[in-house]
Amino acid sequence: MTADREHYMRSRMFRLVVMILFAVLLVHLFVMMVTNHGKFESQALNNRQVSRRIRAPRGMITDRDGEILVKNVFTANITVPADCLKNDARDSTFTRLVRWFNLPPEATREKLREQRKRGRSRLVIIPNAPMPQVITVEERSRDLPGVRVETRTRRRYLFGPLLAHVIGFVGEVGEADLDTTDNVSGYKVGDMIGKQGIEAAYEEVLRGDYGKELVEINASGRIVRRVEKFLVPVLPGTDVQLSLSLRLQGAMAEILADKKGCMVALSTETGEVLAAYSNPSFDPNFMTGSISPAQWNALVGNPDKPFFNRIVQATYPPASLYKVVSSLTALKHGLVGRDTFLEPCLGGWSFGNRYFRCWKYGGHGPVDHVDAIVQSCDTYFYQLGQMLDIDQLAAGARAFGLGRPCSGIFAEEAAGNIPDSDWYDRRFGPGRWTRGVLLNNVIGQGEVLVTPLQIALLAARIASSGRVPDPIFVISPHQAVVHPDPLPFPEADLAWCRQAMRQVVARGTGKAAALANVPVAGKTGTAQNPHGEDHAWFMCFAPADEPSVALAVIVENAGNGSTEAAPLAGRWLEAYFQPLVEDPAGPGEMNRSEEGKRR
Amino acid sequence: MNGIGLIMPNGDKRLFLAWLGLALFSLAVLWSVTEPIKGPYMPSDPGVAKDVFYRQVIWMVISYAALVLASRIPLRYMDNVAIPLYLVMILLLALLLVAGPRIAGARRWLILGPIQAQPSEFAKVSFILISANLLGRSWNQGRSLLLTLTSFVVMVVPMVLVLQEPDLGTSLVFLAIWVGMVFWYGIPGALLLGAGSAVVCAVISIYAEFFIKQPWSWWVYFTLLVGILYRVRLNIFAKVVILGLNIMTAIGIPFIWDRLKEYQQNRILTFFDPTQDAFGGGYQVIQSRVAIGSGGVFGTKYLEGTQKGLAFLPERHTDFIFSVVGEELGLIGACVLLSLFLVIILKGIHYATLSRRPFASFLAIGVTTYFVFHVVVNVAITTGLLPVTGLPLPLISYGGSNLLISSFLLGLLMNVSSRTFSD
Repeated sequence: MTADREHYMRSRMFRLVVMILFAVLLVHLFVMMVTNHGKFESQALNNRQVSRRIRAPRGMITDRDGEILVKNVFTANITVPADCLKNDARDSTFTRLVRWFNLPPEATREKLREQRKRGRSRLVIIPNAPMPQVITVEERSRDLPGVRVETRTRRRYLFGPLLAHVIGFVGEVGEADLDTTDNVSGYKVGDMIGKQGIEAAYEEVLRGDYGKELVEINASGRIVRRVEKFLVPVLPGTDVQLSLSLRLQGAMAEILADKKGCMVALSTETGEVLAAYSNPSFDPNFMTGSISPAQWNALVGNPDKPFFNRIVQATYPPASLYKVVSSLTALKHGLVGRDTFLEPCLGGWSFGNRYFRCWKYGGHGPVDHVDAIVQSCDTYFYQLGQMLDIDQLAAGARAFGLGRPCSGIFAEEAAGNIPDSDWYDRRFGPGRWTRGVLLNNVIGQGEVLVTPLQIALLAARIASSGRVPDPIFVISPHQAVVHPDPLPFPEADLAWCRQAMRQVVARGTGKAAALANVPVAGKTGTAQNPHGEDHAWFMCFAPADEPSVALAVIVENAGNGSTEAAPLAGRWLEAYFQPLVEDPAGPGEMNRSEEGKRR
Repeated sequence: MNGIGLIMPNGDKRLFLAWLGLALFSLAVLWSVTEPIKGPYMPSDPGVAKDVFYRQVIWMVISYAALVLASRIPLRYMDNVAIPLYLVMILLLALLLVAGPRIAGARRWLILGPIQAQPSEFAKVSFILISANLLGRSWNQGRSLLLTLTSFVVMVVPMVLVLQEPDLGTSLVFLAIWVGMVFWYGIPGALLLGAGSAVVCAVISIYAEFFIKQPWSWWVYFTLLVGILYRVRLNIFAKVVILGLNIMTAIGIPFIWDRLKEYQQNRILTFFDPTQDAFGGGYQVIQSRVAIGSGGVFGTKYLEGTQKGLAFLPERHTDFIFSVVGEELGLIGACVLLSLFLVIILKGIHYATLSRRPFASFLAIGVTTYFVFHVVVNVAITTGLLPVTGLPLPLISYGGSNLLISSFLLGLLMNVSSRTFSD
């Protein structure tokens, strides 16, 4: 080549440029790998080390005998990253999953979109995945980047509809309860929270406390190493023991099987709810798993309202059950004696320009105070109503716990209504209502409204002379016991009332509730229902002379209390008093020893 | 020549040793990339199949044959086939654009049964050959202007075709090789420096303004330019003109920029930044920088890199393989690797200078520029100095086409080296 000198120059320049470029690279590498080494090293650590929140196992729920009612079961969900749908290629992870597991593509896509809207970082594509699918995902993880099997616990309600209204159910935490801070113990998206019943009321007890573990993950989020298992130890939830007895609950469900209504039974000594069932019911397992829109609509659209917790949410006029309250109030204020005869019943009573009918066409004839209760004579009570003051009656009712929520468990609990003069003044204006309302109130109609739980408590209060505390649903951890003020009625009047109620079952309207060898005391009621057939009421306690249990029964749109509700109470009491050979500690056994004492 | 001699490459043995060193380096790193991470970890999928390693071994054998062939084939044969080969390559590239299979949105691959190849890689060889042919002839004819201009056209055609695939990284390789060879050919230094620096200045000021948002980096460049001008022997008038040109460019760029319509601005931005947000928050670059930076002086030890082993590092067996070197072998390993490349590059310049035949000289400088561009740009990308464009690290990255042509080109360089003294 000619021009050697020129080429020599050029080669020097070429070499200079190369050396400058390499020097720049070397300086840059030095800055990264030596000067800033620490920064990058900690970034590499941050890349792979994450502290993961560990959900605490939720406490179990048992019945009073320790029988497990609600537990946690492990389920495997197959999840995909939130951006899974972005890739619309024909052979994306999503399309592979759809093809391999025969998923409906459009429905699945919609389901994932729905979850994504809720701000989830990982979307559940197959909930409760069966084992073969789990194995496929694990084995072919290379073909399914980002797809993970996440095991988590799921709430399992072993007895489904049997305890649905009392226990309630859990559901995914709603936006209002979400904790957006970094607080570990707060609720995060995807956590479960008690939505109703005991699950909601005992949320703080059942949920336990989250733990934290330090793990190392690879780029697709799979854990490759547990660095510190107990960064913050998990605090498992505490088990909750209900006062309900599974056996007695089952008996109730069986009795109410084809009826619309509810039954509540309380221990007259402790106030513990032994059984409480509202029919129709629903399966709470649907609420925690995946419920299809069709199933959901069937539940919500059911005219019998299976979600409606009749134990505490439904309010009915107490009807004739209320007569015992009216009687005791009248006795207390000396308006009548325990055996006073009033004007005989001729089938009704005229007051002002209105005629108030007795339920018995043709009338009861002359009745004394006891018979007025035993025969449930309305005419007698219309006359009491003329003597009573409305505020006296309201005070008497409230002394038994009517007119206020009495469980302290259910957020959705209704208070009922015990109207007094203030209430009517507010409702109709002062002076714009007459004593006529009292004639309705006194027989438990009109504006008086109560829940079945309140009626059970009323029966228990009468049975225990007011010593029984407000209803208790949970034995452990101890539910706060609310002791009521002593009843403002003399013990002699209460004993008289118990005797009258015993007569109701022995020879009056409640004969259908009688048992062969246990005396039962009760009161029937037939609540007028402007929308249809009357509601049948019955409340009772037994044994009549040394009560251990109180029971309230209501059957909606069934008609007469004495024929429709009282027999149901009898059947349940039979189950209650039936000695249990297999379970000597059961309530039947307990009662037999009491009977022995009495002999 | 005995039998064993025939299967050995001809020429400077140091070049061959560099090739051997790089080949072993490549296999060692690819083994690591395809191994599950070592350390206190549960069994973890390395994410890159072992096949990659074994295939590279096979390609290594084939590439060795190509190296031997290229080092022994009479150079005038290469000179003679340069033009027909080039035409065939252009046809192939054009055909690829029309009928090539679309893989991940690009038409880069030619699939013939079990063999997949990137024609753009082979186009690099034929481009170096035809440029050496044209510039060599032009040199012999007293630097004919026509042939010089022809070489420009010859460069633009494959560059545009490859850009359409689209493959910005590879298309820039053509430009870079052409600049290197034309510089060697001897366009006036002042012109080259003036034009080159103005282009570089424009690019840097756009980067400084709109990408890294650190206008001071232009001053670094400017200081560098002043330094170069001080060292270079030029008349003072030319130096002043070059400096003035650079200053005007730096002032003019924002001035013109503000007068562009928004879509025009965006078009320019996307040209500089093909993968969206690659320069700032791009995942690949962040992970790559973390890998290299966390390597430190000695590295995390072989097989124990977490960025690699836990698959945080994307493309760790191909374009970002240098990050694995940085992470597991540290600054020392990176320096060893760069030194091996530097041996090839400096020897390349050496033999280009010594060679008395214009074709051989241009061939040597073309090959050298190829290595300079690939190595510098690849390392700059992995360390975050340049935006991400797919560009392999020659002889190290997994990929048969590139390994084959890099070895072939190195063979040609050895061929040139063997003739510098006997010629």
